[in-house]
Amino acid sequence: MHRMRLPAVILISLVVLTVGVPAASAKVATITMSGSTSVAPLAAKLAKGYLKIKKNKGKVRFKLAQGGSDVGVADVAAGRVTIGNSSRDAKPSDPGGLVFNPIAKDAICLITNPSNNLGNLTLQQVQDIFSGKTVSWSDVPGASASGPISLVVRTAASGTQDAFQKIFMGSAKVASSAAQKASNGLVQQAVKGDRNAIGYVSLDFVGGVNAVSYRGVACNLRNAKSGEYGGVRNFWMVTRGAAVGAAAKFIKWIQTAAAAQRIVATDWVPLR
Amino acid sequence: MARAGLTRPWTDRRAERTLGAVASIVLILIATMVVFVLAKAWPSFAHNGLRWFGGGGNVDDQLKAIFNSPADPNKYIYTLHAWPLLYGTALTTFLAVGAGLVFATLAAIFIVEFAPPRARAVLEPVVRLLAAVPSVIYGLIGILVLVKFVGEHLISEGRKASVIYVIQLSGSSLLVAVVILTVMITPIMIAIIVDALRSVPRGWVEGSAALGANRWRTMWTISVRVARPAIVAAAVLATARALGEAIMLSMVSGSVGFAPNPLDGLTFFFEPTRPLAATIVDNAEGLSVKPFGQTIYAFAAVLLVSSLFLSLGGWAAKQPLKRYAVRT
Amino acid sequence: MATATPPSVPIHATPPPRVVGVSWRRVDRVGVALCWAAGLLLCAIAAAIVIFMLIQGLKYLKPSLLTSHPVSDTDQSKTGGFLDPLIGTLLLTVLGTLIALPLGVVTAAWLTEYGRPAWFARAVESGIEIVAGTPSIVLAIFGLLIFQQHVFSFLSFTAQGNAVFGRSFLTAGSMMALIALPLIFGSTREALNAIPAHVREASYALGKTKIATIRRVLLPSARTGIGTGTALGMGRIAGDTAIVVILLGATLQLQGQGSVPALSTLRGTGSTLTSYVYNNSPAGEGNAPQKAYAAAFVLLLMVLALNFAIDAVARGRRTRWSR
Repeated sequence: MHRMRLPAVILISLVVLTVGVPAASAKVATITMSGSTSVAPLAAKLAKGYLKIKKNKGKVRFKLAQGGSDVGVADVAAGRVTIGNSSRDAKPSDPGGLVFNPIAKDAICLITNPSNNLGNLTLQQVQDIFSGKTVSWSDVPGASASGPISLVVRTAASGTQDAFQKIFMGSAKVASSAAQKASNGLVQQAVKGDRNAIGYVSLDFVGGVNAVSYRGVACNLRNAKSGEYGGVRNFWMVTRGAAVGAAAKFIKWIQTAAAAQRIVATDWVPLR
Repeated sequence: MARAGLTRPWTDRRAERTLGAVASIVLILIATMVVFVLAKAWPSFAHNGLRWFGGGGNVDDQLKAIFNSPADPNKYIYTLHAWPLLYGTALTTFLAVGAGLVFATLAAIFIVEFAPPRARAVLEPVVRLLAAVPSVIYGLIGILVLVKFVGEHLISEGRKASVIYVIQLSGSSLLVAVVILTVMITPIMIAIIVDALRSVPRGWVEGSAALGANRWRTMWTISVRVARPAIVAAAVLATARALGEAIMLSMVSGSVGFAPNPLDGLTFFFEPTRPLAATIVDNAEGLSVKPFGQTIYAFAAVLLVSSLFLSLGGWAAKQPLKRYAVRT
Repeated sequence: MATATPPSVPIHATPPPRVVGVSWRRVDRVGVALCWAAGLLLCAIAAAIVIFMLIQGLKYLKPSLLTSHPVSDTDQSKTGGFLDPLIGTLLLTVLGTLIALPLGVVTAAWLTEYGRPAWFARAVESGIEIVAGTPSIVLAIFGLLIFQQHVFSFLSFTAQGNAVFGRSFLTAGSMMALIALPLIFGSTREALNAIPAHVREASYALGKTKIATIRRVLLPSARTGIGTGTALGMGRIAGDTAIVVILLGATLQLQGQGSVPALSTLRGTGSTLTSYVYNNSPAGEGNAPQKAYAAAFVLLLMVLALNFAIDAVARGRRTRWSR
């Protein structure tokens, strides 16, 4: 009899805890985010800055996952997360009822291997290279590399890929033989390791590679802020319908507070 | 003095029912898994019919189109011709199992017969060590060392230029995938074959030696022959392992759904591919988009059915082993 | 008349030395050479892997990495450690084993001691073999499928849009249990089968029921085998990546769900050493190979230590049954 009591007690308390606790824990608001790998570092920094504000301590918690802009949009539309991070604009094929809230701007830089100091590319040249029409570096004026061009692009779910397609390629399709990478860091690494590689990354990933000017304008934060650099895209936080509750407060803070704008300005372009 | 409740000694019938219930949980779980995965995968097969297994078009583009299907359920896109993926899976699996079988048999013969005793004492832990290394570590070494080496030293510019219109060559290739996969599955096979070689009846080996056959002959014609069912069983086990290897292959085999072309000669080995399991891992984040999720489940269904057949084959292959009382 | 033995061969000769004789055919010598090559290659590969991981691990592993939390940052190589993934690995291993152990032991006991009806017993055996052969990625996707149903929402958390997230330690642990199950089942069955019949008969003769015999006599004697199987299962769980990547929610730090301390971690998301290595390698998104090496080194040490322990225990205690 005594031997049976202890396991029964443990079992009952476990059941009580599992079932009874969710009712008691509603005080802390959890904001879950998923989506773009380009937005993720910014989102993490903003979340940290938001939690530093005294009145938010202990009232709000953040969960950040990644997966790509398309995954973020799909997740928020299905109600799996509160906010979807997207580095691409809204597409007509997106589920209905989504609100895209802009939070920052970012520049997409074309990069080549440090040994290939390509100075500048025009729109036509970019389209020809990335669609596979131009296959050899000897056909590209200004390139110090020779040999076949290795293309490094992002995967299909990537918002950066989408933005690149819209801003640079237009209606031309990226060659299907291009190597697809899952994040900015991987593109950067692939370009660093291959003498004949060319790719595109978010502005904060140009360390250690040669950033190519586009239409005569160098790709850096100053030119992106001033609007001279042509390859600029928006970062969005997507919500299902207008944001409510803790998520709305967070997004409003990002869009209006000076502290948030300071965080954005470290590596990205603030909204104003 | 009757004690009530849980403390009354259980009757055998009650115990049998309870234990049997637990055992049936396992069975129900497995049946549920097969049914659920197949059910979720069905729409993808239904829309494509047998062309699902055929070729045609770039499979990555098709996956992208499925991912970007419009939100209206009537307009979901399902078109998929998964041949490059199936071909890549078959290539990596069979090449690795073939190479591994040869390697494992030779190594097993070495361990059982020709190794000096001290070498034997080293080799057995070594085999166990290799079997215990997690696949992500193999993948890490592969992607940071082997892929770099192959990309920089083994693939010449001329080779790259010869296929540039079709596919880009980087270090991630069939070669690296097969090499690492072989290293991963060989320890399993060695363990099984060594066990089988050691279970050959002593009398047979001694009889052969008495007849004047040298040790190699004896080993090859007697022991290995007797161990044939074990070798088959080992091959089946290794095939199942190779088929299911997702993480390592997604790291080193290249992330393009491309069918390497044997007509390219030596370049065939440097072309990237992406087996089914690696495709699932790479695309797992898109599961929330309905038609895309169903396509991924279709891949999983193919893997599941293949491993079911392999389990069946493994069981059939192990039957002759029971004759020699080899532990399986 | 006794025939004389040839004078040159002593009667109690020592056997000729076991060498590859020059009188062997070329084919045979080639065969032996190939075997030696295979054996040496095996050693060389293992040595290369171990030494390489040792060098890289020691180069990049700092004690601070083991105790600091990972931080999400653009440049992963400069910030944070992998304390959370380390805890995640330990947590997941323990969880998976806790679920698999009772299931495996009970099923094996049922199979060896009862096993009726026969078709059911065969079905259970085949079922476990099927699980053993299923790729872990398929198990992971299946886990996602069932744990995103509302029935299982207590295992993870429900997002605001009323969709079940389906990814947590509990869900990943349940699927990990399926990975360890065949190993525990197999070892327990072997151990139980190795117990000779007279032990059972003695117990019945003393008036014990079958279930009491199992509980009090057989299972305690099978402890070593069960322990071996459990350790093997733990090794496989610790090394598995596919289930973690898909079912654990991929947040760098352990993020609990709800406010009960232990339960919240279990229902929350996190990462393990394996997914940490995967993410920081060029295949994932973190792009910090140094951290990947350090974490891989720690993981390798853990798995090797586990296998070492298995070997030591298996060699040490082999129950002797007196006749």
